[in-house]
Amino acid sequence: MTAPPDDRMTELRQLFFETAGELVQKLNDEAMQLEKSPGDAETARSLRRTVHTLKGDAAACGFRELSELCHEFEDVLGNTAAAASVPELALRAADVFAAVLEAYRKGTKLPSIQALRMDIAHLAHPAPSGTEPAKKKKASAKTSPWSEYDQLAITRAAADGKQVHHVAVQVDPQCGMPIAARQMIQLALSGLGEVLALYPLEGSLGPGDRIEAALASEKPVEQIRAKCSIPSIALNVRVKPLRALAPSYRLPTVSVPDSAGKNKEEDAAPAGAHVTASDATPAGEQSAAAAMPGGPDNVLRVDSERIDNVLNLVGELILAKSMFQQTLLEFGQRFPKDVLRGKFSDAMAFQGRVLNDLQHSVMKIRMVPVDQLFRRFPRIVRDVARQCGKEVDLLVKGGQTDLDKSILDAIAEPLTHMIRNAVGHGIETTEERVRAGKRPQGTLRLSAYHQGNHVVIELSDDGAGIDPDKVRQRALSQGLLTSEQAARLTETETLDLIMQPGFSTAEEITELSGRGVGLDVVHSVLGHLKGTVQIETALGRGTTFRLRLPLTMAIIRALLFCVEGRLYALPLNAVAEIARAFEADIHQVEHYEVLQLRNDVLPLLRLGAKPPTLPETARRKVFVLVIHSGERKFGVIVDEMEGEEELVIKALDDQSITTDLVSGASILGNGKVVLILNMIALMDRFTRGRVAATNTQMSGLLSSVAPVESMASAGGMATPDTRAHCTVGGRA
Amino acid sequence: MEKFAPVKRSEDGQPVRYLIVDDSVFARKNLARMVESFGGLVVGEAGDGVSAISEYERLTPDIVLMDITMPQMEGIESAEKIVRDHPNARIVMVSSVGYQENIVAALQRGARHFVQKPVKPEVLYEVIKYVMRDDGVTTRGAGAGA
Repeated sequence: MTAPPDDRMTELRQLFFETAGELVQKLNDEAMQLEKSPGDAETARSLRRTVHTLKGDAAACGFRELSELCHEFEDVLGNTAAAASVPELALRAADVFAAVLEAYRKGTKLPSIQALRMDIAHLAHPAPSGTEPAKKKKASAKTSPWSEYDQLAITRAAADGKQVHHVAVQVDPQCGMPIAARQMIQLALSGLGEVLALYPLEGSLGPGDRIEAALASEKPVEQIRAKCSIPSIALNVRVKPLRALAPSYRLPTVSVPDSAGKNKEEDAAPAGAHVTASDATPAGEQSAAAAMPGGPDNVLRVDSERIDNVLNLVGELILAKSMFQQTLLEFGQRFPKDVLRGKFSDAMAFQGRVLNDLQHSVMKIRMVPVDQLFRRFPRIVRDVARQCGKEVDLLVKGGQTDLDKSILDAIAEPLTHMIRNAVGHGIETTEERVRAGKRPQGTLRLSAYHQGNHVVIELSDDGAGIDPDKVRQRALSQGLLTSEQAARLTETETLDLIMQPGFSTAEEITELSGRGVGLDVVHSVLGHLKGTVQIETALGRGTTFRLRLPLTMAIIRALLFCVEGRLYALPLNAVAEIARAFEADIHQVEHYEVLQLRNDVLPLLRLGAKPPTLPETARRKVFVLVIHSGERKFGVIVDEMEGEEELVIKALDDQSITTDLVSGASILGNGKVVLILNMIALMDRFTRGRVAATNTQMSGLLSSVAPVESMASAGGMATPDTRAHCTVGGRA
Repeated sequence: MEKFAPVKRSEDGQPVRYLIVDDSVFARKNLARMVESFGGLVVGEAGDGVSAISEYERLTPDIVLMDITMPQMEGIESAEKIVRDHPNARIVMVSSVGYQENIVAALQRGARHFVQKPVKPEVLYEVIKYVMRDDGVTTRGAGAGA
């Protein structure tokens, strides 16, 4: 209560935007539900409640346009005659509401809401079909023409002692320009006094319709009537006093948290319309609470930045833990018999456990159910399916699977794109499906599940599948690879081509599948997230995209190793096993090196430079990290293993990165900088190296990374890293 | 054409003075014939929005019949400029149904009324009477021609 009002207002607005976003989503859901089962009274009621809540919230926050729009919409929803067109309209309303909210949030110009307004008004006063104007009149007469705002205005005017008239004018059916006619009537009315309300709204008027207005005027009724009897426009004019308002109407929520103003408003309102202002505020709060999962009592809304701060601190703690361990190790080496060593060790173990729990707890805070993203998709599937005249069902599974919020945000766009793609291109048209002997409705399955330290998101369609030959040809014709390379590609590698930048199919250039982004977005985002994407397809039966995402981005368990004396790391879960081998065991087959590992021949990727073939180097032992990624399996040759460690990843700024092979950096307990290798890029090199057929590309990969590393150690990394580095150095 | 009772300026009983603005000569003549049958006097004609303004300033007619689509300056803009300098100007927009939005815009910018093309004499007559006998806020304007 002691907070300054504008602070409270800011907070309130923030809350409003969050809840309003959810309400719009809810509106989307309900509209689609209603579309599926038309006439479902419960859904219809629920939809109306949603709009009502949004109206109340918007009004409480002072967003008048949105509130009015909601109000008009809500009115229409009460009209059962219009039920059939409600779902479509509700979906459009949801879009407009979302756009309006966005404009409010950014403080930009409001988008045009006229079109929706017209449609809403159209529903309220069904279009003139020429033959039944009588029925029309009846329908419009049934609903009270005044919105809550109008009623408030009327009440205020009446309270000010003004005479308020209800003016009803029928537009001459001969008049071909009813909207211009409405403008004339409006002009005439404003010449007489203050026009408090005028219906129907612009654009929804047909010839012969009735225009109703609330006019505050001191002029005699006779003069008003004469003034409104405009030749060629007005057919008959009725003017009657308007004073008694239905007592049941609710005072619009004018609860800007400025109590002084509120009181004034209440004072001004006559007893008939008096509703305590307190009625408005709880309504807003309730809606906010109701929109949140898990009930209103035990949910806290926290700015994600604050959580990130905590997570950052936890990261630093983990760094400190590594420092302790390092120190303890040195201590143990220097005083192997000291009893203190055991005590330290116990304390460390205890602290480590707690730290572990802490880390997991914080990470859990950042976790949100993937449903937050998935709920958007039914609408997208519906819209895209409609656009291309297909019928597509979307089945969602595992919506409760938790995923780091930042990861979820990051995959929102690529996943949306994939879904559009699947509906637009993956699933065939109804005719094609029938011809192929399939169900006319296509099915899109979207599921999420945990797999170890990963979350897997699968999107499969039962469409035509992808023809690898066509992909190959397309890639060839677009010059993405040579025919020689194309011939070497395995099927998996071919399919991966569709995610290469620059690859596009003719259809993809249509507006449908998105705004000029190809599936390469998926590839690059997944690479950035250290996830993988895998494509499976069966011609005629469908395609499955499998995204494997890390649970969280900030901390990874990594395997540390040395190449040519420099320290690198790979995410531990990418490494399936570690093998030792003599240089002599590594053979050159065609263009790449291989190692016989048990019964398999493992293709190899050499990070360092290839040693000259000498007798003494043949006896040298190296380590081979066996990497499993999707269907691929390959080995990475490294010089020394350094152990595993939990790494707090710090992003490198773009200037320091000269290669995509490095995705981040971290600092070890002993202050050393380690570069984290980008699995995806490695794999790309591997694939490309094979097809490029030059073995120089297959070794010495990391030579190009070297300058980066020296820069990093010299403190040339992004600021936070430099700082962390110094801290470590200072204390160690 | 003689069935209309002449509409005169109430101030001095003189014929109502018209300025007819349309880029079509035929439309101008047609309108002129009509307003003359109402006992009016066509004091000037203009074929575009720019000359409409200068003609208005020169002649200060009682009523301007203004087409919407014209070369150089459209009727809306012309009407807006005239009304801005002469708030009492009575401008009646003349347009076909397709230009309803332009009519609304013109009305918002100060035009007094509109008739739709093809103009029916009896409609125009009623419109003229309405615009002339306008007594609400526009009573001051009734004697503008005096």
